[in-house]
Amino acid sequence: MNFDLDDEQRALAAAGADFFADQAGPTAARQLLDGVGEPAPGRKALAEVGFSAITVPEAAGGGGGTVLDLAVVAEQAGRELAGPSLAGTARAVALLDADDAQLAVLASGTELFAVVDGPEEPVLDALAATRFLAVQDGHLVVGEGEVTAGVPIDATRGLGKVRLRDPRSLREIDPAAWRHARDVGAVVLAAEGLGTAAKAVEAAVEYARTRTAFDRTVGSYQAVKHALVDAWVGVDQLRSLVWWAAWTADREPDGLPAAASAVKAYSAAVVERATETALHVHGGIGFTWEHDSHLYWRRAKVDRLLLGDETEHLLRVADLALAT
Amino acid sequence: MPVDFTDSAGDAEYRARLRDFLRRHDHELEHSDSEYLSEPGVERIEELRRTQALLYDGGYVGVTWPREYGGQGEGAIRQAIVTEELARASIPGLVNHLGIGMCGPTIMAHGSEDQKQRYLRRLLRADDMWCQLFSEPGSGSDLAASRTKAVRQDDGTWRVDGQKVWTTFAQYAAYGILLARTDTDVPKHRGLTMFVIDMSTPGVTVRPLRQMNGASEFNEVFFDGVVISDAERLGEVGEGWRVALTTLMNERVAIGGAGNELGMRTDSLVARARERLPHFSTGEQVRLREQLGRVLVENLAIRYTGYRRLTALARGQTPGPEASAGKLSAVRAAIDGAELGVRLSGPDAAFARAADGDWRWHTTQASMPGLAIAGGTDEVLRNIIGERVLGLAPEPTPGKAAR
Repeated sequence: MNFDLDDEQRALAAAGADFFADQAGPTAARQLLDGVGEPAPGRKALAEVGFSAITVPEAAGGGGGTVLDLAVVAEQAGRELAGPSLAGTARAVALLDADDAQLAVLASGTELFAVVDGPEEPVLDALAATRFLAVQDGHLVVGEGEVTAGVPIDATRGLGKVRLRDPRSLREIDPAAWRHARDVGAVVLAAEGLGTAAKAVEAAVEYARTRTAFDRTVGSYQAVKHALVDAWVGVDQLRSLVWWAAWTADREPDGLPAAASAVKAYSAAVVERATETALHVHGGIGFTWEHDSHLYWRRAKVDRLLLGDETEHLLRVADLALAT
Repeated sequence: MPVDFTDSAGDAEYRARLRDFLRRHDHELEHSDSEYLSEPGVERIEELRRTQALLYDGGYVGVTWPREYGGQGEGAIRQAIVTEELARASIPGLVNHLGIGMCGPTIMAHGSEDQKQRYLRRLLRADDMWCQLFSEPGSGSDLAASRTKAVRQDDGTWRVDGQKVWTTFAQYAAYGILLARTDTDVPKHRGLTMFVIDMSTPGVTVRPLRQMNGASEFNEVFFDGVVISDAERLGEVGEGWRVALTTLMNERVAIGGAGNELGMRTDSLVARARERLPHFSTGEQVRLREQLGRVLVENLAIRYTGYRRLTALARGQTPGPEASAGKLSAVRAAIDGAELGVRLSGPDAAFARAADGDWRWHTTQASMPGLAIAGGTDEVLRNIIGERVLGLAPEPTPGKAAR
C-alpha cells in the first residue's frame, strides 16, 4: 500500500498551479460575475496545455493519464476558480469512451462538450459548450443545444438549462455506463472543490496570523483558531477522499459508486464550511464585493448542488452499504 | 511509487497467513464490536490479556517494534494490515493499549537498555499491564503544571508524594510511567522528570473511579512516600516534559491517528441498521439512512487520512502534530455513530438496553464524552493543530515561561 502522490503527479500539480495562477484567478471570476469576459482559462487554453484531455487515450490525441492525474490538476484549477470545469470534460470523456473521433475533437479543444441530465437540470458550462451529450431511449446522443442562461451565483460555472437540438445517436449506453461517467465527473468536481476550499482556508489563516484586534492577532483567539482548524481538518480529510475516489475510478471501478458519492457528499459540506469560515474570519472586508472571499463561497454554494446534492449521495452511500 | 491500495505480493501473503491464524484461534480469542467497549458489569481483563498474549505469540503484537525488544521489525503497513484484520475478525483493541501506544514508545525513546530489556517484551505480551500517570486533580490538560513531587534522597533514590487521576487501568497495571516535579524553582516545563514506577511498591494506592458509562477504567492513584530507584528514571532530570511529549504524540497516533475507528465499528452499525430499518416509517427511514451515510463517509475520510499518515510513517517520518486531527475527527464520528445506533432502537432508544437486550449503543453513547476529554481534549488538540500546523499564535498565558 502507498497513499501519496508520486513525483510525476507532484510535477503535474506544480505545473497546474503555475498555469492556473497565470491564466485564471479570482479577478477573472469577479469580472465574469460583472458580465465581462469568458471563463478563464477557457477551453482552447485548457486543450493546448493538455489538461482537458488528461484522461483521453493517447491514440485519440490525449494524455493517456489517470483520473487521479486529472484530480491533481483539478485541485489546482479549483484554487483559481478556473473554467470551464475539468469535471464536465472528464464526464464527457468517460461517456465518449472508445469514440476516438469525438475524443479527438474534444482533446483538440475545437469543441467543448457539456452533459445534460434533463431539461430542468442546470448544466455545467452550458454557456461555453458547443456540443451536448445526453441519454435518450438507451442511446448516448450528441447535438447542439438551446441554452437558457440564468442569473448566476457563480459565473465561472457557466450554468444554463439546455434543450437538445437535432440529437443523433453515438451508441447504445446502459444506465451503469451513464452513472459511471457521472461518478467520474463527481470525483473531479470534488477535486476542484478541494482546491477552492484549500485556497480559502490558506487565505484566512494568513489573515488571522497578521490581522490584529485588541492588541493580538485574531488567530490567537481560540474561537477563531478552532474554527480555522475545523475547516482545515475537513480540507485535509477531503484530500484523502479525493485521491482515494480517483484511484478507485482508475483501479477498482466496481467501488466507484460508493467512493464517488462519499467524496461528493463530503466535499459539499467541507467546501461550504471552509469558504464560509474563511469569509467570516476576514471580518468586514470579507463580505465586500472587492474581496475574493465571496468568489470562493459562490463556488461552494453552487458546486454542492451539481451532480447530486449531499443528501442524494449520503443516501447512496448508505444504500450501497446496506445492500452488501 | 504511485498511489496503490492493493497489497504487494508479500503483504497479501502476510494478510492471508494472519487471516488463517485468526480463523484457527477464533474460539480462543475475545470478540467485540468496538475497540474498547465492554458490557456493563462484565469484566474480562484476564480474557483480554490472554487474547493479547495469543496474538503476541503469533507475531502480531508490536509489529513495528524492533526485534531485540520482542517486536517483529516490520513496517507501518504491516501494522495497518494487522489492525484491519483484527477489526474484521471482531477482535477488540489490545488490552495493554496504554503500554503499547504510549508507555512502550516512551521507554524505547528515552529508557536505558536495561529498562528496555526488562519491560518491553512483557509489555507486548500483556504479561505486565501498564498505565500512564500524568493527569492530576489540579492539572488535566495543563500537564506541565503537575505537582506530584519526587525528591532525591541521600542514597540516590527518589521519594514520591502526591496524587494522579484519570489513570486508565491503574488497577490492573504492574508498572506505570510517572511524570513528577523534581524542581520547583524553575519554570514549570523545566522542573519535571519521568520515572517508571512499580505499582506494587509500598505507598502506592489505587482507587477506581466509576464513570458515567458504568465502567471503572479510570483511577485515582495516591503516592505516599513511594521510593523509586534512580535506575528507573526515564531520561534526564528536568527533561520530563520533553519525554512526556513523546508519550503524548504517540497517544494521538494510537487514538485515531492511524485511521482506526473509535466507538462502535461501522460494520456493526450497518448490520444494526439493516435489521432495524424495516421497523420505521418510510419518512423516518430516509432520515436514518441519510444519517448512516454521513457516519460512513466521516469514517471513510478518517480511514483514508490515516492511510496517508501511515504512508508517512512507513517512510520513517515521525508522527507530527497533524496526527492530532485523527483523534479529533474519530471522536466526532464515533459520537455520530453511537447516536444513530441509539436511534435505531426506536422507542427503546429511551432505555439503556433495547428490548432485544442490545446494550452497545447506549454504552457507547455514554462513553463518548469521556473520549472527547481523554488523550487530549478537543480544545487542546485544536490548539495544537492551530499553533503547530497552521502557525497561529497561542493564547497569551501570563504565567507560562517559554518552552
